[in-house]
Amino acid sequence: MNKKRDRLTVIFDILKIISAHHNSIKPTPLLRSSNLSSTNFAGYYAELIAKEFVKEIIDRKGRKYITLTDKGFKYLEKYKLILGFIDEFEL
Amino acid sequence: MPPPPPFFNPVVLISELAFTMLAVIFCFLIYFKTKESYELTKYEGIKYFRGAFLFFGLSYILRFIFSLMHFSQAGFEFIFPREMFALLFILPLGYFSTIGIFYLIFGSAWKSVGNNKIIIIIGHVVAVLLSIVAFITRSQRMLLFLQCALLVIAVILNFVMHKKGKKLSQIKVLYFLIAILWLINLLIIDNQRPLPLEAEFFFQVLSVAVFIIIYHKISKWVK
Repeated sequence: MNKKRDRLTVIFDILKIISAHHNSIKPTPLLRSSNLSSTNFAGYYAELIAKEFVKEIIDRKGRKYITLTDKGFKYLEKYKLILGFIDEFEL
Repeated sequence: MPPPPPFFNPVVLISELAFTMLAVIFCFLIYFKTKESYELTKYEGIKYFRGAFLFFGLSYILRFIFSLMHFSQAGFEFIFPREMFALLFILPLGYFSTIGIFYLIFGSAWKSVGNNKIIIIIGHVVAVLLSIVAFITRSQRMLLFLQCALLVIAVILNFVMHKKGKKLSQIKVLYFLIAILWLINLLIIDNQRPLPLEAEFFFQVLSVAVFIIIYHKISKWVK
């Protein structure tokens, strides 16, 4: 992944990784796949939780999984359109 | 006998009302159409962009009320002295329209500016000062001059920051048109109505056309 990703792209990339893993991934593989430092990842992760793009699910064995919410899916769906809007209006 | 006040020329009144309604409807449509994009991303540029149209929408409502007060004669006198009433409207009119212009410019410049929060505070302070000066001088013409000066400064800054060899984009032209047409529409409601009626109609139609173009462009991206 490109080093100079902006905030919107990083969020999109993280959500895409979760979606590509059948909407269920553990935090450590997600951190690895996101190509972010653990500090940066923690910041983005907190933001995703706060914005309710993702939620944590604990299974019966106590393992933590991350899944997308409806809002997270909506972001994935709208991302390219929003990016087009931002580009066209030079925002 | 002096000529009747221009606002009660029914043609002017109907055109003013229709123009205001269309301008306000399209400004608010742009604002609400971009709501979801902003809520999903919390992207600063979208915030200023949609904020600009919210403030322009409010400004056009106030402009209509202000002009109605300004040109009416006996209509409001029995409730409240009309000049006093018009004066009360110049404060929010000055503030909302200055912030509208400021957000429009800042929406596409925020990335190249260092500290956004300080610039935003400065923008609000300038808007308050401008409206207070217009209120004290009891003149929307003063507001017009000050906003003109503000726009000239913005254009010069944009010219200085503009990358060499890069063509001026269509969207920047539209932003400039929105701001300049606002100033012309403010001039139209001046006491002496300095523009001929045909010119007034032309600028009103052009203003609505610019809002429709912006709305159409947004509709391509924001479903």
